[in-house]
Amino acid sequence: MSAQSLPGAKPGLAAAAASEGVPSVPRRKSTDEPAWVRRLLIGSALAFLTLFLFVPLGTVFYEAFRKGAAVYLAAIVEPDALSAVKLTLLATVISVPLNLVFGIAAAWCIAKFDFHGKNLLLTLIDLPFSVSPVIAGLIYVLVFGLQGWLGPWLHEHDLKVIFAVPGIVLATVFVTFPFVARELIPLMQAQGIEQEEAARVLGAGGWQIFWRVTLPNVKWALLYGVILCNARAMGEFGAVSVVSGHVRGQTNTMPLHIEILYNEYQFAAAFAVASLLAGLALVTLVLKYVVEQRVKASMKVQHEH
Amino acid sequence: MSIEVRALNKRFGQTVVCDNLSLDIPAGELVALLGPSGSGKTTLLRIIAGLEVADSGSVHFHGKDATHTDVRERNVGFVFQHYALFGHMSIFENVAFGLRVRPKATRPAENAIRKKVTELLELVQLGPLAGRHPHQLSGGQRQRVALARALAVEPEVLLLDEPFGALDAKVRKELRRWLRRLHDEVHVTSVFVTHDQEEAMEVADRVVVMNQGRIEQEGAPDQVYDHPATPFVLQFLGDVNLFHGRVGLAAGEAGYVRPHELDILPESADGTLPATLAQTLTIGPHTRLEFRRPGDEGTIDVEMLRADYVALRDRLGLQVGGSYHLKPRRVTRFTASD
Repeated sequence: MSAQSLPGAKPGLAAAAASEGVPSVPRRKSTDEPAWVRRLLIGSALAFLTLFLFVPLGTVFYEAFRKGAAVYLAAIVEPDALSAVKLTLLATVISVPLNLVFGIAAAWCIAKFDFHGKNLLLTLIDLPFSVSPVIAGLIYVLVFGLQGWLGPWLHEHDLKVIFAVPGIVLATVFVTFPFVARELIPLMQAQGIEQEEAARVLGAGGWQIFWRVTLPNVKWALLYGVILCNARAMGEFGAVSVVSGHVRGQTNTMPLHIEILYNEYQFAAAFAVASLLAGLALVTLVLKYVVEQRVKASMKVQHEH
Repeated sequence: MSIEVRALNKRFGQTVVCDNLSLDIPAGELVALLGPSGSGKTTLLRIIAGLEVADSGSVHFHGKDATHTDVRERNVGFVFQHYALFGHMSIFENVAFGLRVRPKATRPAENAIRKKVTELLELVQLGPLAGRHPHQLSGGQRQRVALARALAVEPEVLLLDEPFGALDAKVRKELRRWLRRLHDEVHVTSVFVTHDQEEAMEVADRVVVMNQGRIEQEGAPDQVYDHPATPFVLQFLGDVNLFHGRVGLAAGEAGYVRPHELDILPESADGTLPATLAQTLTIGPHTRLEFRRPGDEGTIDVEMLRADYVALRDRLGLQVGGSYHLKPRRVTRFTASD
C-alpha cells in the first residue's frame, strides 16, 4: 500500500518546488546510472543477444527454407524424419505424465511432512541437474546393457532396453525428473500446511484435501513445471544419444536425427527438422511466459494471506 | 459439550510444552487460554483439536474419551491464527467446504448447503461478499469468514488460535466484542488462545493462565485479577510495582502493588514511602507518573485518570523533582519463595 501512495506524493513535491521558482530537474533515483552507462550496458546486452540468440535462431529458419518450401516439406515428411518426430513425441508423452506424478508426490512429501533424510531426498531430486546427461545415459547402459547387470537376464527374456525405445524413455524420464518437483517444492513450502489442517478439521479426507485444496493452490506452478519438463523431454540429446544406438527410423529422436542429417551434409533437411524443434521451443516459451505471470499472481495472493 | 483434559504431557525434543496439564471446560462456556509465547497454550489447543498428539494423558469430550479420535470425527471447529482460508475458492465456497466434503450419505442437498452458507454469511455480516476471494478481503473480514467456515459444520466445540493476533488494534477491539456477542447467540463451547490479557479479560467467561507448560491459575476474569494465585499471574495480568520488606511487609515477604492502587500524599504518614517524581506521561485519558525511590533508585509507577492527575497537580503543586509520599491502598503479598 505504502509503495502505491509514494509515487502519488512526488508530483506534489515537484509542483511545490516549481512554484518556489526552483528550476525543475529531471528526477533521478539514487540508484540510477548516468545515461551513457545505461546506453552502453543495454547496447552490449542487445548486441550479445543478437549475436548469440537472434542470429542463430534466424539462421535455422533461413537455412531451412533456403532451398524452397518443397525441399523443406520433403525433409519433414521423409519416413525417417516422421519416425523421429513420433519417437520424440512418444518419449515426451510417457515421461511428462510420469514426472508429473513423481514430482507432485516428491514435493508433497518434502513440503508437507517432516522426516529423516529429507535433505538427502532433496539432493537426489537435483541429481539429474548436476550429473552430465552423458553419465545419465551411461548409467542405463551399465545397468540394462548387454554387458550390464541386468543385461543377460533381459537378453534371456528377449527384452530390449538399451538401443531401443524403453531405454530412450528411461533416459528422458531421468533427465526431466527434477523439473516438476523443483517448481512445486518452494511454493508448497511457502504455503505451509495450515490450509490442509483446516480442511482436515472440516472433515475432508486425504484425497479430498489433495484434489480440493493442495492441487488448486499449486496448479500454475505445476503447469509451469510441466512446460519446462516437456521442453527438456523433446530437446534432450546427450542421455538419449548414449542409449539410443542411432538406428534410423527406429531409435532416432528429433535431436539425434538432426545430428545425423547434419553430419551427412544434408543441411537443408537438418535445418528443416531443427526448425520444427525450434518452433516447439518458441511455443513453449510463449506458454511459459503466460503461465509465469499466473504463477507470480498466485504467489502474490499467497503472500497477502 | 464439555471438555476434560487429564494429565496431558507433550514435549518437542527437549522442550516440555505441556507439563502434566489437567483442565475442565464446562459446556457452553467461552474460555481463554492466556499466557506468554512458549507457554504451551497453542499446543494444548491443537491437542484438544486432534491436530497434535500428546505424549501421554487424555482428552475427553462430554465424558467420552476422545484421545485417539481422528480430527475429522471430533466435530470441532478450528479458527487458525492466519485464518488458513482456501485462497482459490470464493468466500461462499470456503464456508461451504465442510458440508461439501461430507460423504454422500450425510451431505446436505445443494439448496440446503446454499441456505446454510447464506445464513452463516449473514451471521458474520458478510452476505454481500459471498462471491469475493479471500485476498480481496480485509483482515477482520477474513477472520469472520474463518469463523463462519468453522461454524458451518455445526461443531460442538469451537477452538480459536490467537483469533485477533494478526489484526490492528481498532479492528481487534470491535471483533472481540462481536465474538462475545456471537458466543452469547450460538452458545457453543469455545476455547481461544491469546497472549493479550486485556482480550482474555474482556471476552472470556473463564481465564486459564498458563506459563511454561503449566496452568498457573484458572477462574473468572475478576477472580483471577483480584486474587492472583502466583506472582506470575499477578505480573502477567498487568503492570505492578514490587516491594521488598517495606510497606508493613514481614521479612521474606514480597509485596505487589498495581500502579493505580497508590495514593500520592504531600506528607509522610503511616505505611507511606518517600519518593521523588521523575516524570509524567499522559496517554489518552490516563496519566502515568514515574517516581524514584531515594536510596536504591528503583522506580515506582503510579497511574491515574488524567482528570484526577490535573486536580492533584493543582492541589499539591506536583512537579518533576519534588518529593512526595506514596501510600498503597492494596498490597498483594507472596512469600519470597514463590
